[in-house]
Amino acid sequence: MSQTKVLLVDDEVEFVLALAERLQLRNYYVNTANNALEALGLIYKDPPDVIVLDLKIPGMDGIETLKTIKKFDPAIEVIMLTGHGDVRSVEEGMKSGAFEYIMKPIDIGELTSKIDKAHGKRKKE
Amino acid sequence: MQASKEPKNRMPQNIIAFLHNLFYPLDYFRFLGADRYTSLKIRIILLGAIFSLVPLFIVVTISYFWFQQILKDDFRNQFKWEIGNTKQSIESFLDERLSGLRFLSSAYTYEQLSDQKILADVFSKFKRDFSGLVDIGVIDSNGIQRSYIGPYHLEGRDYANQDWFHEIVVRSSYVSDVFMGYRRMPHFAIAVKKDRPEKGNFWILRATIDEQKLTKYASSINLRENDDAFIVNHAGILQTSSRFHGNVLEKLKEKFALPQEGISVKEVKELNNDQSFHGYAYIKNSPWILVATINSTPYGKIPEIFRSELLVISILSILIGITVIIAMTQIVVNRMKIADQQREEAIAQTEHASKMASIGRLAAGVAHEINNPLAIINEKAGLMKDILEASENLQNNKNKFLVLLTGIFESVKRCRTVTHRLLGFSRRMDLGHDLIDLNDTIREVLEFLEKEILYRNINLKLNLMENLPKVETDKGQVQQVFLNIINNAIDAVEEGGQIEVYSALKEGKFVQISIRDNGIGIPKDKLKHSFEPFYTTKEKGRGTGLGLSISYGIMQRLGGTILVESEVNKGTTFTVEVPIKAESA
Repeated sequence: MSQTKVLLVDDEVEFVLALAERLQLRNYYVNTANNALEALGLIYKDPPDVIVLDLKIPGMDGIETLKTIKKFDPAIEVIMLTGHGDVRSVEEGMKSGAFEYIMKPIDIGELTSKIDKAHGKRKKE
Repeated sequence: MQASKEPKNRMPQNIIAFLHNLFYPLDYFRFLGADRYTSLKIRIILLGAIFSLVPLFIVVTISYFWFQQILKDDFRNQFKWEIGNTKQSIESFLDERLSGLRFLSSAYTYEQLSDQKILADVFSKFKRDFSGLVDIGVIDSNGIQRSYIGPYHLEGRDYANQDWFHEIVVRSSYVSDVFMGYRRMPHFAIAVKKDRPEKGNFWILRATIDEQKLTKYASSINLRENDDAFIVNHAGILQTSSRFHGNVLEKLKEKFALPQEGISVKEVKELNNDQSFHGYAYIKNSPWILVATINSTPYGKIPEIFRSELLVISILSILIGITVIIAMTQIVVNRMKIADQQREEAIAQTEHASKMASIGRLAAGVAHEINNPLAIINEKAGLMKDILEASENLQNNKNKFLVLLTGIFESVKRCRTVTHRLLGFSRRMDLGHDLIDLNDTIREVLEFLEKEILYRNINLKLNLMENLPKVETDKGQVQQVFLNIINNAIDAVEEGGQIEVYSALKEGKFVQISIRDNGIGIPKDKLKHSFEPFYTTKEKGRGTGLGLSISYGIMQRLGGTILVESEVNKGTTFTVEVPIKAESA
């Protein structure tokens, strides 16, 4: 089975690095980005299967980034990451085509199962 | 406003100021009631009473005098009519007598009447119809009395040199002034001339009539106590006795401005300022003038019924008017009072709601601030667990673990900073007297909003004056004011906008903090509402419209001020002035 390609986008470098390492240990191929521009560049260079996107990132608003990604390739699934219960942004994100959302601090098992589900969905298409 | 415009506007401004004073006379009416609703009530009632009762009073007064004038005119016409009637009666009385003499002079010849016997016969027959007839006589063209029947013996008397004789030669009939007869009885004479063409001369038939007849006519005018009526000749000699102006044949004491002819009525001011009417009527074919003076002024007395009716209606209208005004004022002012109370309650409630909202915002901010380091701790600890589970050799991973643990401590430190800051922020006493540096307060508030400012790429500039004196004020409240204003600034600017914060010393008494943004600005018409509760220009659901009104209230309580300047599409500047010394109120 080939590795699932995941792109982590969050402005907290420590968080992104630690999470990336944990996912790598679980046999995912992981790229990281700390802002929207970096993320979009990576999506273009190395298109991922699933993106884990923080809703509050510098450069471009999370929702805007989400919409841009969906415009670029609707097949890429996005899991939103939110630091606090900003229900409205989450709803808006779901409407804009996000696959799932997950609250910080995250449970690694929950995250991987959501990534797998998203990837599974992508494969079926 | 330009200075040159002021003189032009002064007049309307004065009027406006006057009206303002009339409706909001802060000082004039204060003594009427300590409670402002009571004094408002009294003012409205007074104004209402003035505006409704003054016209009523004017109408009543005008109608009263108008009615009086009508009565007076009516009286004057009646008086004139009465004089005219009497004049006609006297004239027809004289006419009748003269016609009687003319008939006699035609029915009998000169020769017949010159005969004493025939004349006596005629006299006795005539006396029945000719009431007041005293004597009768015939005079020839030489003025010699030819025959005479009556109480005096006048036969043979010569009238040739008397005035009346000359007059009758010209006018063919004559009525004399009243004169005193031989028996001390006043009477007057009438005469007619009969021409005798065949002889080329004439003869005269003359009769004397008792003056009592005239008096009877004159007194037929409807007289009251102070009134008078009499007949006077052109020379002002009384022809009948009068009540107040002398007896018959006396010279009239008062001067009367006798008119030339016809019937006339004059209003005369008496010496004692009383008004009276004088009426005059010339009696045709005679030397007489009928004079009547009315001193009693019955027209001046408006009928009692009318007066009492007017009084009752006026009093009723006043009572009803004042009752209605008082009742309406009561209702209106009470409604105002209730509305004011409700509004105050609503403001108090929303002040609470706004506090809750800012607590909510704070909670969201805090959750975000703490969640991020927690997430890092979570991942690092998770990674350590992963490594432990995957490998038995701890020594190989020692350095890796140290790095991860350092990260965990860093994150814990971040959390601690947040909680400490939170403690400092929420420590609030009711209007506490903290000695604080407002520059620090600004920095603390900005720390809370740091993330938001960062995410929206807002360019924040701090121009804080160093060495500001510490101010004695309530730290928590000031923080809330700054938080509200900076929050507004963040909402107002576009992404990449600019917010500048200045601090300065003003007049050595205030510390001035200005927060300037280059956002959308507030239109002039909305600017004046910006401190009103519930007023918001933000889109629905984004603002409660309370932040600024609460900030305003806080600054007032702290003895400071909050000012706003704004220009559409250029930005808004809020200036907060905090007194250095707290007011010892």
